[in-house]
Amino acid sequence: MKRLSVLSSGLVAAAAALIAASLFFPWWGMEFFAPQYPEGLNIIVYPDKLEGEIDIVNGLNHYIGMKGFSEENFPELSYLKYLIGGLAVLALFTAILRRRSVLYILIGIFSVGGALGVWDLRRWLHDFGTDLSPTAPIKVDPFVPPIIGENTLANFITNSYLGFGSYLIIAAFILLIIPIWKDR
Amino acid sequence: MKKWIPIASGLATGLLAATVFFADFSPGNQGEAIAESTKNKTNAEKVYVPFGEKDEYYLFASGGHSGQMFIYGVPSMRHIRTVPVFSPDSATGYGFDKHSKEMMGGFTWGDLHHPAFSETNGDYDGKYMFATDVGNSRAAVMNLETFTVRDIINVPNTSGPHCAAFVTENTEYMFLPTRFAVPIGSEYAPLDEYSEKYRGVMSAVTFDEKNEKLNIAYQVALPPWSYDLSDAGKKVSADWAVMTTYNTEEATTNLEINASQADRDFIVLFNWKELEQMVKDGEYDEVTGQKMIFPEKHKGGMYLVPVAKSPHGVDVTPDGKHFIASGKLAPAMTVFSFEKAFKAIENKEFAGERNGIPIIKYESIMEREVNPENALGPLHTQFDDKGMAYTTMFISSEVLKWDPKTGETLDRVPVQYSPGHSVAAEGDTVAPDGKYLVALNKIAKDSYLSVGPSHPESMQLIDLRGDKMEVIQSAPVNPEPHYAQMIKADKIKTISVYPKDEKNPYAVYNQEDTRIERKGNEVHIYGIAMRSKFIFDAKAKRPDEIEVKKGDKVFIHLTNIDFDQDITHGFAINGYDLNIEVQPGQTNTVEFTADKAGTFPIYCTNFCSALHQEMTGYFLVKP
Repeated sequence: MKRLSVLSSGLVAAAAALIAASLFFPWWGMEFFAPQYPEGLNIIVYPDKLEGEIDIVNGLNHYIGMKGFSEENFPELSYLKYLIGGLAVLALFTAILRRRSVLYILIGIFSVGGALGVWDLRRWLHDFGTDLSPTAPIKVDPFVPPIIGENTLANFITNSYLGFGSYLIIAAFILLIIPIWKDR
Repeated sequence: MKKWIPIASGLATGLLAATVFFADFSPGNQGEAIAESTKNKTNAEKVYVPFGEKDEYYLFASGGHSGQMFIYGVPSMRHIRTVPVFSPDSATGYGFDKHSKEMMGGFTWGDLHHPAFSETNGDYDGKYMFATDVGNSRAAVMNLETFTVRDIINVPNTSGPHCAAFVTENTEYMFLPTRFAVPIGSEYAPLDEYSEKYRGVMSAVTFDEKNEKLNIAYQVALPPWSYDLSDAGKKVSADWAVMTTYNTEEATTNLEINASQADRDFIVLFNWKELEQMVKDGEYDEVTGQKMIFPEKHKGGMYLVPVAKSPHGVDVTPDGKHFIASGKLAPAMTVFSFEKAFKAIENKEFAGERNGIPIIKYESIMEREVNPENALGPLHTQFDDKGMAYTTMFISSEVLKWDPKTGETLDRVPVQYSPGHSVAAEGDTVAPDGKYLVALNKIAKDSYLSVGPSHPESMQLIDLRGDKMEVIQSAPVNPEPHYAQMIKADKIKTISVYPKDEKNPYAVYNQEDTRIERKGNEVHIYGIAMRSKFIFDAKAKRPDEIEVKKGDKVFIHLTNIDFDQDITHGFAINGYDLNIEVQPGQTNTVEFTADKAGTFPIYCTNFCSALHQEMTGYFLVKP
């Protein structure tokens, strides 16, 4: 089995650092604009917490019968940081072991994890947008906001976007791919 | 010829042309450019503040006998807010909720005359606003993070602190002299004993910023005269203060005539550091629970300065070297020198005394008398950034600009009509801004659409930036601004929501924690208001219902859990004559006795949301 070059090992180590760093940055966010809120309201999602004007957003969402966002509602927030931390440790081991097979396994886990993450986010968006209380004062058709991009609902325009943490993860993924191509 | 030469020379020519024709080589004096652009603006453009932009200054105009403070923006002269101070105000629930009702002390009106900002090093610090009530002898302090009054005190032994409040350079004291002389303790004494028994008591009030409490440090039993305007010294004169008096005749009836007889009245010049020391040394008598300095007995620190009769304004120049007084019946402004005063005091250049207070010789302290032709009724003076003085002329209805150093009249502008005071941008600090002056006119007469025989007052904005003063805006205002303060807007740092106070036993931040507790005949409600509902007891069948028995004492603690700027809720009970307000994040309490049996709807009075109309409940009182 071919070993990774020193440079490749370095790239994998850098990826490990980026993955670890992503823990401290928001991964995803949604910004709400309305005529009365030109400054925008935010939901900012970190791997382990929510930030932004959550209470205000919840207060407004209850008019359309949406469930309230809170950290307790998302069990992922309690364990996601360990999974991401674990991935960073695994990447570091890969860099130390310099074994191609381990790198393949890492990329595999990374890909599956990433896909699961996207699926999970979409699942939540679907859940919040479609499971609306039947007794809500304002009736709206069920909706699913996009993971990235704009959506209009009543007086609100929402804009979903990837946070800096997600870009770090994408960069880390690219760093992991390069050795496969370089050491081919 | 090499190919690159034409290309290179073409580029070079292009670059040169661009530099020569389009570059800006002017020294770029931005200040001049702005002044120039201001000059070319129409008056409408000078006062227009488009949406998205804010006014440059806050104007705090005293509301006189409305008992309120009016907040305006300058230069737009838009009325932004009315802050109730000494009078109840149902619009904000002021005087209804527990804290403000207690502060009100049973009074239902006040006469807010002179406002004063807290100062640091002689300049406004934008933290607090002080005000006095001539009507019921009170003093108040307003917090400028929330624009709400935090404390009001009754000032004993005085009657009508008119010329106050004025604060010393670092807000050590706020002095409250009195307009009406009364016997100590306001006890009964026949007017025949006026000169012996009556006193014009001045109070030195301190402010405890941490607890937001006012307190009387000591009082001075001045002679039974009427004390009018006043000002604290600055810089070299920082330890001193001046205030004008009239009715030194000690007339007890028909003051219009009898208090206008003497050719000269007095300015009281006092050294508050010395008075402070006297109190520390025990140089005072304890009367009605106050430390009272009696000038005839406790000598020192106080002097009288003769001044043209019946003076109103006395104002210290920004450099602190002079004070300017004007006799409202004598058409002259007099410039006095602090330096000369200090020397005269040292050399004891006195011309007798009144009630044990030495009178400084007029000639020893007067710097110059200024008597512009036909300028009548000089009332009050403000200053600009160059030290020029602006004096309102009540009788000749104009503002006069003059140089205190030479006495030369520089400009005059008519105002409509009869200005009492004026206020310049930070015009009574050590560092006035110039730019703007607002004339507080007593009579609007034909200025606005008629609303019957009585009209609003008028405030006129005067642009000070050009060579000539120019009236550029006129705004009606409710009765009645006496004096005002104008502060650079960025000095005031408001909060947008009340922060959570987990230590407040009356606050409830979670809907689930709402509850109604009964203790004997007391009913304590710990509720919340949010868009668009009240929750008094989350576990009840109807969380927005309160049921009590007739005669129960009801305590409603309400927290607005919408931590969202400007989402204010009101709480009113139909037919129970009460209405309070909870600002975003605020907890407020209302206490009352359920003395009427019946069914009384509860509703939110401050429009909050699309379903505001549905933000209701019921207050049921069992017979």
